[in-house]
Amino acid sequence: MRPIPSFSLHRPKTLSEALELLQALEDARPIAGGTDLLVLLRDGAVSAKHLIDLGGVHELQYIREENDEIRIGAATTHAQLLRSELIAEKTPLLHEAAASIGSVQIRNRGTLGGNLCNASPAADTAPPLLALNAEAAVASTGGTRIIPLGDLFAGPKMNSLRPGELLTEIRFPTPPAGSGTSFQKLGRRRGLTLAVINVAVYLCLEGGVCREARIALGAVAATPIRMPAAEEMLEGRQLSGELIEAAASACRDQVRPIDDIRASAEYRREMAYVLTRRALMDAWERARRDTL
Amino acid sequence: MIELWDGASMEYDKILENLLGRDDYLVVGHSVVRTDALEKALGRARFTADYIPKGTAVVKVVRSSQPHARIKVDVKAALGVPGVLAVLTAADVPGHNQIGYALPDQPFLNGEKVHYIGDPIALVCAEKEYAAAEAVDAVEVEYDPLPASFTLDAALQPDAEPIHEGGNVAVTTRIRKGDAERGFSAAEVEVEDTYETPYQEHMYLEPEAAYAVPEGAGKVTVVGTMQSPFLVREKVAHVLGWNLSQVRIIQALTGGAFGGKDDMGPLVCAKAALAAVKLGRPAALVFDRDESVAYTPKRFPARIRYRSGADGEGRITAVEVDITVDCGAYANRAPFWLWRMTAHAAGPYEVENASVDGRAVYTNKVFGGSFRGFGDVAIHFAAESQVDRLAEELGMDPVEFRLRNVLRPGSRTTCDQLLDHSVGMEECLRGAAEAAGWKRGRELGRKGSRVRGVGVGCAYHGISTSRSTPDWSAASLILNQDGSFTYRTGICELGQGSPVGHAKIVAEIIGAPLSSIRIEVPDTDSTPNAKPTHGSRGLMLGGTAAADAALKLRQRMISVAAEMLGCPEADVDLREGRAFNRQDPSEEVSFAELAEELYVRGVSPAAYGFYTSPRRFYDPETGLGVNYSVYTFAASVVEVEVDTETGQVDVVKVWPAMDVGRAIDPLMIEGQIHGAVSQGIGFTLMERLVVEDGLVLNPNFKDYVVPSALDTPEVAETIIVEEPYRHSAFGAKGVGEPAIISIVPAIANAIHNATGLRFNTLPITAERLYAALRRRKP
Amino acid sequence: MRITFELNGKRVECEARPNKTLLDLLRADLGLTSVKKGCEQGECGACTVLLDGAPVNSCLVLAPQVEGRAVTTLDGLVDDPLMAALRKAFMEDGAIQCGFCIPGMLLSAYALLRENPRPTEEEVKTAIEGNICRCTGYIKIIEAIMDAAERIQNERP
Ligand SMILES: Cc1cc2nc3c(=O)[nH]c(=O)nc-3n(C[C@H](O)[C@H](O)[C@H](O)COP(=O)(O)OP(=O)(O)OC[C@H]3O[C@@H](n4cnc5c(N)ncnc54)[C@H](O)[C@@H]3O)c2cc1C
Ligand code: FES
Ligand code: FES
Repeated sequence: MRPIPSFSLHRPKTLSEALELLQALEDARPIAGGTDLLVLLRDGAVSAKHLIDLGGVHELQYIREENDEIRIGAATTHAQLLRSELIAEKTPLLHEAAASIGSVQIRNRGTLGGNLCNASPAADTAPPLLALNAEAAVASTGGTRIIPLGDLFAGPKMNSLRPGELLTEIRFPTPPAGSGTSFQKLGRRRGLTLAVINVAVYLCLEGGVCREARIALGAVAATPIRMPAAEEMLEGRQLSGELIEAAASACRDQVRPIDDIRASAEYRREMAYVLTRRALMDAWERARRDTL
Repeated sequence: MIELWDGASMEYDKILENLLGRDDYLVVGHSVVRTDALEKALGRARFTADYIPKGTAVVKVVRSSQPHARIKVDVKAALGVPGVLAVLTAADVPGHNQIGYALPDQPFLNGEKVHYIGDPIALVCAEKEYAAAEAVDAVEVEYDPLPASFTLDAALQPDAEPIHEGGNVAVTTRIRKGDAERGFSAAEVEVEDTYETPYQEHMYLEPEAAYAVPEGAGKVTVVGTMQSPFLVREKVAHVLGWNLSQVRIIQALTGGAFGGKDDMGPLVCAKAALAAVKLGRPAALVFDRDESVAYTPKRFPARIRYRSGADGEGRITAVEVDITVDCGAYANRAPFWLWRMTAHAAGPYEVENASVDGRAVYTNKVFGGSFRGFGDVAIHFAAESQVDRLAEELGMDPVEFRLRNVLRPGSRTTCDQLLDHSVGMEECLRGAAEAAGWKRGRELGRKGSRVRGVGVGCAYHGISTSRSTPDWSAASLILNQDGSFTYRTGICELGQGSPVGHAKIVAEIIGAPLSSIRIEVPDTDSTPNAKPTHGSRGLMLGGTAAADAALKLRQRMISVAAEMLGCPEADVDLREGRAFNRQDPSEEVSFAELAEELYVRGVSPAAYGFYTSPRRFYDPETGLGVNYSVYTFAASVVEVEVDTETGQVDVVKVWPAMDVGRAIDPLMIEGQIHGAVSQGIGFTLMERLVVEDGLVLNPNFKDYVVPSALDTPEVAETIIVEEPYRHSAFGAKGVGEPAIISIVPAIANAIHNATGLRFNTLPITAERLYAALRRRKP
Repeated sequence: MRITFELNGKRVECEARPNKTLLDLLRADLGLTSVKKGCEQGECGACTVLLDGAPVNSCLVLAPQVEGRAVTTLDGLVDDPLMAALRKAFMEDGAIQCGFCIPGMLLSAYALLRENPRPTEEEVKTAIEGNICRCTGYIKIIEAIMDAAERIQNERP
């Protein structure tokens, strides 16, 4: 392990300042909690001449609901997500995912934006947000564009942001009554663990019929991904154990995992089935409870 | 028939009992707050890195990037890096460059040939971390690669490139007891299999570190994290070519060791010392976590072919065991490790016919070394799996089957050692099984995808040195003028608390409050040599030396007190910091008054304690005789829950039992057991060092996963069996290592109970368990 | 960079390179060796400090990032009654072996009890999941935190 290479650190107070710095400086990178970036810098996997610290940009830290939409500032920490009653009540899915990340120490520093922009295929907040149909607000000195969250991920540890751009907000429709969700994560131990795979499911029922199904998996492909084939199998149908098993099987067929130090591709594929089935059963159960 | 004990040996437990004349001890046997706990809880305990002042020269190790090659080293470019003070290679070693522990196969710095990825080639000394890191990259090493062997089979090929002169088999062992073939013909059932155990990384929280200060001409002081200051002194002096008296070693508090720092202490301290001496200024070497994981010794991997048979009565009739230990690049402790495995091969059972062969083999990987439990973890995993299978073949309950075979007083070990006393195996096994409700609990059933199972494991572990190698220890105790005491021992505090145990023994014997006895950090310039803190000998050997010092001082205190009190010596008792007349306890003198009197009368207030273990017989030809002076016994019952859909295993509950001779401090014993349970869970279920072509791919906590707080099972109160050992203070035996040995097979056996699957290799990761379950499905 | 922050209740002004971690600043420059270095990757928790009262891995914080904020190490809580209760429970329950993990562990426990005075065992385990201890197997540590919580509750009127 090496000492962290040198760089200069900039500590803007406002978003516009941050965007200007990012635009003006050569080889600049944002740093939020630093829980990914500092490890990568030390390993030499990433380098930067300038770091723009988002820690002082308080306008990027918020959780609010507006017009049936939940909006979260990119620099919101996992701990802030966990403490939010709004999140716990309206999107337990995101609450559960945030709770599963790292340790107390990591959750106190690590941010939602960092988790997504780091673009690890195993990022724990990605599947839930994909399942919640989230969009990302991406800003630069030139203005803001809104993209589907899935478009943020370009490949393993690669995001699609252009130089000078920052992720500023994540937003998604507040899950309606009748919806049920579930987050499942498999690690190599019970505490502080990266996902071998993770699964998020969102189901919305109407009179026993599945009106909407969204399934997203992590660590099974180059990026966190949705499972359209399985979702289609469920939508418009009366849910049943068999149907759920069939949908979970479809996920197993769709995933393209790799072998790495944490697990083999084969195991991940099988666990895609097991965890998706569990998540679907769990979300179904919760949705039914919600509609009662 | 072999003559075992040399008749006239001290029976410490008796001496102490008679002398102290107490029904109940004051501190021994009771849990106390450790005297070192406060400074640790305040964050004021100083570990090695905490001693290093700013401005100390930074030392970094240049390491081989190749697993096996001849090398040429050029340091010119590195010397040109600004801030670099020196780059030291083998040519700069003033003393001896050969530092192998058991065999002369390990260069201190490799100048001609490297044997694994990470082999030290040079030391870079610089003003700052950054310059050092840059210079490490600037050292030019030209590699002329040699064929490398990464597996036992490859290394054992007749045409394999020899890693060291003399070929790839470093040592062999052999035991023949009775007639194994005859035993097998008497057997009704026979089972045979091959077991493999992997590396285990210690993952002590404190990485290796040493801080060295040259003291004028011809003296160096080294502060380091270690287990044996005197071994460190020997190796540092050896490398420098100096006398022992020219080297002063201070053991700073050590942040976990588990055996690993017994090996690394000398290697790291010698590097810092060499740098400091060459530079003529203080120098420090602190390992990063990845260095600590990738390049330092770990639990030796082993492969064990095991065949055993039992008769219809459930008696084990024969075992035939063939052991191959993977040394890695250097033999290091392999000869001792292998011997321990060989000697304990039958497990804690009386087996009349045994045939055991062993060999330790070099490969081009990180070398193995000491680790809690030594070879006994691996060999018991095999032996206890076999025992379970024999019971299964016979349709017998595994506890019942074990009870028919366990070592008892009067039994003979595989080495034909007569165990005449202090043999609590049966009590441990019965105790753990009963606590766990063994008979009731065998059908634990299934809930959804989760099935539960229980398993049992037994273990025994010879304490201290093997093969009747003489073992001894020393300690010193000074009564200061104010009635306080200074205690010194070369036994190190590694977290296990042995020195605190010594202080309790001292407190008991001299009647001093524990708080009045200060334990000094080991410093080879003033501490008596106590030999290493390993082999679970710290309390047993070291504590007995402490007792000896305390007894000597006690005698002097009593005779002076008798005169002061005007009563016969026999009437004087020492308690709570005062001497008094038993006939009239109001006649008393405080220890401060007594101390003053000792000094005035010229009666020595300092005592030097020495202990030598009893002489024993051992025949190196047959491997038979008194192998270890005494054994600690342990049993565990474990309940697991297996998720059959994911393969994940949770250890739900553990019921441990141990025969500790005498519990000097029950709380500290529990602490040792809990730590061992956690390390055992890690070893059995999750810890997996990934080595590809000699390169460690996961040298970090992130991917070398050890148990977290959320992986903690419930652990029932430890059943402490006390079968005192006659030749140690109060009868105590070592507890640090045995705790891990029985846990590992107990978990594996519980998984078998839950799933019907037997695993012969570790770790049983979720993925492997899942794959095995799937393979079994029709 | 020049930075000013509050350390254990006192204002500190010092110079730090941007790439210096808070861990190195505290240990090497400010001499607070109660903060331990175990991995420098956020994985072991030995370097835990409180940043505005919340536990963080000081190896993953850049020194200039604490500008204007409050950093607390074990040294700043010597006389704190809650920390005293934790310390006592750790000592009496045998939760301390080598001690290397202990400063971080105590700070994590302290932050937990500040927020949640009567945690469940599961909550205690979760609070220290980022503090690896290789010696104790956690059992006595968990017990000690539960004990401290109970004692403090009982002391309150
Ligand atoms: C010990 C440990 C355990 C962990 N456990 C988990 C886990 O269980 N699950 C999990 O998912 N992750 C885990 N992580 C990874 C990490 O903590 C999370 O991904 C965290 O959310 C990253 O957020 P951050 O603010 O620290 O990101 P940073 O490290 O600050 O940034 C990460 C990347 O995103 C970029 N970035 C940050 N913010 C923005 C923005 N607003 N706009 C554009 N780019 C941005 C940075 O330039 C950098 O490239 C763990 C990390 C550690 C060290
Ligand atoms: S040193 Fe910071 S978490 Fe290990
Ligand atoms: S007490 Fe040693 S690591 Fe926790």
